Amino acid sequence: MADIPDTIVLRRHRDLEGRRKDVWIRRGLLTLVALIPVLALFNVFGQRPGKPAVATSAARLQLYAPTRARGGLLYEARFRITARQELKKAILVLDPGWGEGQQINTIEPSPTGEASRDGQLEFTLGHIPQGQTYLLFMQFQVNPTNLAWRRPANVELFDGNTHLLTLKHHLTIYP
Amino acid sequence: MDLAIRTTVIFFFIYLLMRIVGRRELSSLEPFDLILLVVLGDSVQQAVTQDDYSVTGAFIVVSTIALLQVFLSYLNFRVPRLRTLIDGEPIVIIQDGKVIEGNARRERLTLEDIAEAARLQQIGSLEDVQWAVLETSGELTFLEKQKN
Repeated sequence: MADIPDTIVLRRHRDLEGRRKDVWIRRGLLTLVALIPVLALFNVFGQRPGKPAVATSAARLQLYAPTRARGGLLYEARFRITARQELKKAILVLDPGWGEGQQINTIEPSPTGEASRDGQLEFTLGHIPQGQTYLLFMQFQVNPTNLAWRRPANVELFDGNTHLLTLKHHLTIYP
Repeated sequence: MDLAIRTTVIFFFIYLLMRIVGRRELSSLEPFDLILLVVLGDSVQQAVTQDDYSVTGAFIVVSTIALLQVFLSYLNFRVPRLRTLIDGEPIVIIQDGKVIEGNARRERLTLEDIAEAARLQQIGSLEDVQWAVLETSGELTFLEKQKN
């Protein structure tokens, strides 16, 4: 047999002794890598919006917003309030989770008033006649350093001081 | 702090990716691969620095990458047992003019690939090759038969 190149060990480098399982380890790891885009397609990493809704005899509130997002992403939250009875002074109250580590770029239409209600964000929307719908758009951008796992981001609707409903929502922010 | 962590995570993710995609993919750099490389770099840059445009940020990222690279090469040098994990091992593809099919298949190397690599080293026939080794870098090296 011709000279074997230096540092080449035939049993190991030609016959692959002790290396048979390597290819399976590689395939296993590759499968894990392939799993990432598959999970992404199933919205595991966001930002496909959900449409949760809650209704009472007084009003119906539907939220159109993602529950999962990633650092730096821009997204929209849409609050659709349908008055089943006249709301003299509709007030939307958002958990602080909505403002935590996120830029609130736009709120349209602008609420007639903004305040803090025991640490929550309070937006006074005003009068909504019975049978009419009030659509509030909010545009957000997630701060790149923001991280959250199921951070509460509930939404409450009041008519003046009367609590009408609570919509349970949460936000998960991936790095 | 955040930048250093993100850089480290991305560094090891790319390292792992490069180790598992196979050497054949690494050695070839055709026009499409070159474009992919640029796209990859751009995507990674967004994830690492995001909205940080500062010179300090660049210092942190570049220093972290340099340190990680030195750390890996130090491990590679000092801990022989880790060498195969970090760099991989060479594989003999041709012995005495004959392609070792199993090894070539394992690395997704076709006969045409091997012949092309041989031609690049001025070898016209694989029968003239005594040894061909797929190196850890993804390069195929050929040692010709000694002519009497």
